[in-house]
Amino acid sequence: MSREIKLVFAGSMGAGKTTAIRSISEIEPILTDVANTDRAEFDKTDTTVALDYGELTLGIGEKLRLYGTPGQVRFDFMWSIMAEGALGVVVLIDNSRPDPIADLLKYLGAFRELADAGAAIVAVGRMDTHPRPTLDDFATALDQLGLLVPVMPADVRRRQDVLDVLEVLFQQIEATEEHAEAVDDWLGFVRAAAPRGGS
Amino acid sequence: MMSRAIPESLKKAFDREVASLHGRVPGVIGCVIATVDGRLVSSVVDNEADPQRVSAMAGSMVALGETIGREVKIGRSQFVVVSALGGILLLQRVPAERELLVVGTLARNNTNLGILLHETRGTASTIGRELDEWLAANLKG
Repeated sequence: MSREIKLVFAGSMGAGKTTAIRSISEIEPILTDVANTDRAEFDKTDTTVALDYGELTLGIGEKLRLYGTPGQVRFDFMWSIMAEGALGVVVLIDNSRPDPIADLLKYLGAFRELADAGAAIVAVGRMDTHPRPTLDDFATALDQLGLLVPVMPADVRRRQDVLDVLEVLFQQIEATEEHAEAVDDWLGFVRAAAPRGGS
Repeated sequence: MMSRAIPESLKKAFDREVASLHGRVPGVIGCVIATVDGRLVSSVVDNEADPQRVSAMAGSMVALGETIGREVKIGRSQFVVVSALGGILLLQRVPAERELLVVGTLARNNTNLGILLHETRGTASTIGRELDEWLAANLKG
């Protein structure tokens, strides 16, 4: 039976969430872009306000459902909505921003449950022009949080880079799941769902 | 890795309800049941709308409606309506002991919104009862 897996792309505005999904989606992505009126925050014409969505079928009969979050903190209510039912999160960091380590802490913190479960990865972009902070700096920051989260460079305009990030994420998730108790998947979903009126 | 295959008996029951709504309400051109996290469970759609893509957005729309409802202090959102030039999309949760599903009904724009609401709510309630029965039988302990 084919399986479907929900993945979330998070990160600051302009980090490349929409681009990453567009790079690997086999369908025309659903985009909720509108004109960006905050050119001081990031100089681009459009920005995501609700979600991006794309799909990618893997060779092993699994379909990835790819969700991109809006980057600005004022949209943080969408982050928790997007996280519901997600198997993992890719946190994209733009190393050209003023404080990429602060971005890491902010966005990984928003998906802390997934990070704690070993279902997160950090992909750092624009390292060619902005080599600092280094990957070691990110690893140190994660270590101080007590998180085991892989960090790797990625140019999300390149399909292979995004696929490489996902491969490492899946390896991490599978390594974690090997130690988890096997449960019926539907039952697991039902048990995890909010009770009536609870959300 | 984990996935969530809905039990076949539930899937068949939901398929029946979706087909029933589609068949009994004039003007309804589609009905979709999706999980709250955006997976397609059951659908009938007459036009070119892709149920997979609609499902991916439906759960988020319902959740966003509830978030906005809380924000503006008007309480819990009951449903979300997209009223467009070419039709109406009505989205709401399936009322059950666990908040697992949402239902969306697509109708032509000359459809009476009150009837659409009433019939969608009825379908959602039936689906909710079927889900609750399954939960009671299978979710002990």
